Amino acid sequence: MACWSIEHKVNKLDSNLSQEQLDISALRRLLPGDRLPADTACFSLGEATIDKSLGGGLPIGGLHEILAAEPGDYGIAALFSLLLAQRSARAGRPFFWIGEDRGSAKYGHLYPPGLADMGIDLGRILYASARDPLQALHVAADALRSAAMGAIILSLSGKKPKGLDMTASRRLSLFARESGVPIFMLRDQLSTLAGTAWSRWQVISAPSHPLEADAPGSPVFDVELIRHRGGKEGLSALLEWDREKARFAAHHRPVSAVPTHREDVGGADYREQRKRA
Amino acid sequence: MNGPLALTGKEKGALILAALNREACALGLSIGMKLADARAREPELAAIPHDPEADRQWLERLTRHCERYTPLVAAEPPQSLILDMTGCLHLHASEKGLAQRIEDDLDALGFSCNWAFARTTDAALALARYGLKEGAEAQLPVAALGMDARIVQALERAGLYRIGDLSSRPRGPLAARFGAEMVLKLERLLGEEDRPVNPARRQSMIIAERRFAEPLGHLDSVEQILAELFAEASLQLEERHQGARHIAMRLFRCDGHIARLAIETGAPTRDEGLFARLLAERLDSLHDPLDPGFGYDLVRLAIIHAEPLKMRQVTDDGAQEKHTEEAALLSQISIRLGRERIRRFTSADSHIPEHALTSLPALEPPLPFSWEKPPAGEPPGRPLLLFDPPQPISVMAEVPDGPPRRFLWKKQMHLVTRAEGPERIASEWWRRRKGYLPGKGGLTRDYYRIEDSDGRRYWLFRHGLYGSEKERPDWYVHGRFA
Repeated sequence: MACWSIEHKVNKLDSNLSQEQLDISALRRLLPGDRLPADTACFSLGEATIDKSLGGGLPIGGLHEILAAEPGDYGIAALFSLLLAQRSARAGRPFFWIGEDRGSAKYGHLYPPGLADMGIDLGRILYASARDPLQALHVAADALRSAAMGAIILSLSGKKPKGLDMTASRRLSLFARESGVPIFMLRDQLSTLAGTAWSRWQVISAPSHPLEADAPGSPVFDVELIRHRGGKEGLSALLEWDREKARFAAHHRPVSAVPTHREDVGGADYREQRKRA
Repeated sequence: MNGPLALTGKEKGALILAALNREACALGLSIGMKLADARAREPELAAIPHDPEADRQWLERLTRHCERYTPLVAAEPPQSLILDMTGCLHLHASEKGLAQRIEDDLDALGFSCNWAFARTTDAALALARYGLKEGAEAQLPVAALGMDARIVQALERAGLYRIGDLSSRPRGPLAARFGAEMVLKLERLLGEEDRPVNPARRQSMIIAERRFAEPLGHLDSVEQILAELFAEASLQLEERHQGARHIAMRLFRCDGHIARLAIETGAPTRDEGLFARLLAERLDSLHDPLDPGFGYDLVRLAIIHAEPLKMRQVTDDGAQEKHTEEAALLSQISIRLGRERIRRFTSADSHIPEHALTSLPALEPPLPFSWEKPPAGEPPGRPLLLFDPPQPISVMAEVPDGPPRRFLWKKQMHLVTRAEGPERIASEWWRRRKGYLPGKGGLTRDYYRIEDSDGRRYWLFRHGLYGSEKERPDWYVHGRFA
């Protein structure tokens, strides 16, 4: 049905446009689900530039995927999803972390003092641990359908978690749109699995701005939008979390403090560094 | 406990004796005496604070114990029980035999008692208090009336010491002088007037069941019957202003097999729609699906635990709604995953990092707690994710008690670019046997916050102080900062 209507529109388009003009973005603009209706509720990240590029923010009733670039970046990706959940959850409603046993054995358990240190309201977190991804997906769907939760974070580990396919992803998207509850699917590695997520973010842990005596500073998120239903792929930014104002802020790499002998390892290009390793 | 023992209570700021054991009574101590005076006479006297609440609880338990003799048992605080034996005596050999049995039973529990039979409760109470038996009412002192000390004193001043002195007198003048209440109590003592016993009856469990001449062979109809039974039970719950928290169901198959199902809800409920949803969830998530076989011939539903629930109220604000929605969702997920698998955080009183991680099942009422926020601008001092147990790593450091330079974890070498520490966390030596002795208190941990060349931050610690506690301390990674 959907196929037919696209085809139909393409045919109509064909009569008006030359073949060169018919590029993929023109097609994408035609798809009904891809443009936000004007009255869609959105949440912003709080950082002006990125919010502007996103056109106001991300829709609250939607599925958003947060992928760690490598398993080692799981921590920062988890924090990114928690903070997005906190920003998007309706006031007074809890946000719900759904993990699975294998994931918490591998990456550790959520640690309340650390969450509090990032300004996350511990009284609002509920967390569940499922036995396997299938169960986790089921619980997430249940939680999405009820409007009791403010936001949901579903953490799945592994290359291809069992049960996570196009159907499951579409179900989650649909439920999220119906109930207006956002769901953040946190993955510990990049994935090429098709999905119906509104946005897909890749998160890398970037070196922090060192404090006195070369102490590690606050976390720095190197985020890149690798898929977006509104066609905003490729958007990337270095972000920090502003705990006092509960919003993201741009991270400015210091214009070279005192150069140290370690600069080549800890400094400018950690991505290059990783590639070499 | 052997030897004289007293329980002490407080009166006007002084400790007085509130209860005594036999040995203490034998020494001539009496209730109401000051503890200091009693100690002056008997330095050996052991004293423990009196706990009236514990007494009350014990009395309540004894009330329940005595329900085996008669269904009408009332507690008469602080230390009496009234058993209304009307209509129950024929079950026992005789009054005396029954009393003997109760005395033996209580003795087995470690209690001694005085008992008395009488026609009225007040008479029985008074007789038992003064250690007399039925028919001896006239010998009771006037204090047995239970009037306040002023009236007792007035009676005694008038030369009326015993109930017998009062019983023969005309009631009119007595009422005029000492009050109508005194006369009423006198009549109750003499068995001329009775007051009803207010028995401590537990509310019976709500049970709804249905029997079938033709066994039920389909699960759908079982589900429907259970929903109907819950509707019946919720009518009774409504009368009691309660809602169900724990519902147990039993399906009796005609070949003798019994299937048991239980549903626990997040908040007291009488909502039939919610019950149907939870039941569907329960049946759906059974490890061992129900097999009706030849069919069920009896289906029973019992409300195991109920809590007060007000009449449904229509409110404009969504607060109530939100709460019930959340409770319904929590119940549903608890049924699917198991009660222990959905939780919320609570604070714990320990400085050992892994012990600060505590949580409660989300179905239990949340405890209020507070967390300190770090000062503005400070990076997080604790990791986002904690490994429990910590994972061993091998570390190269410039100096044995300095920060690590590089570490090998899961066959991967990490180069440390930034480090902060150590934050020294001592072991909880006071929790260990002989922990105060050197070398027995457990190992101190030196924590470092580090960042590696990939820009990832970890929480490492050295287990044991180099040299003084351990020759070659082990290293562990305990957590992952974001």
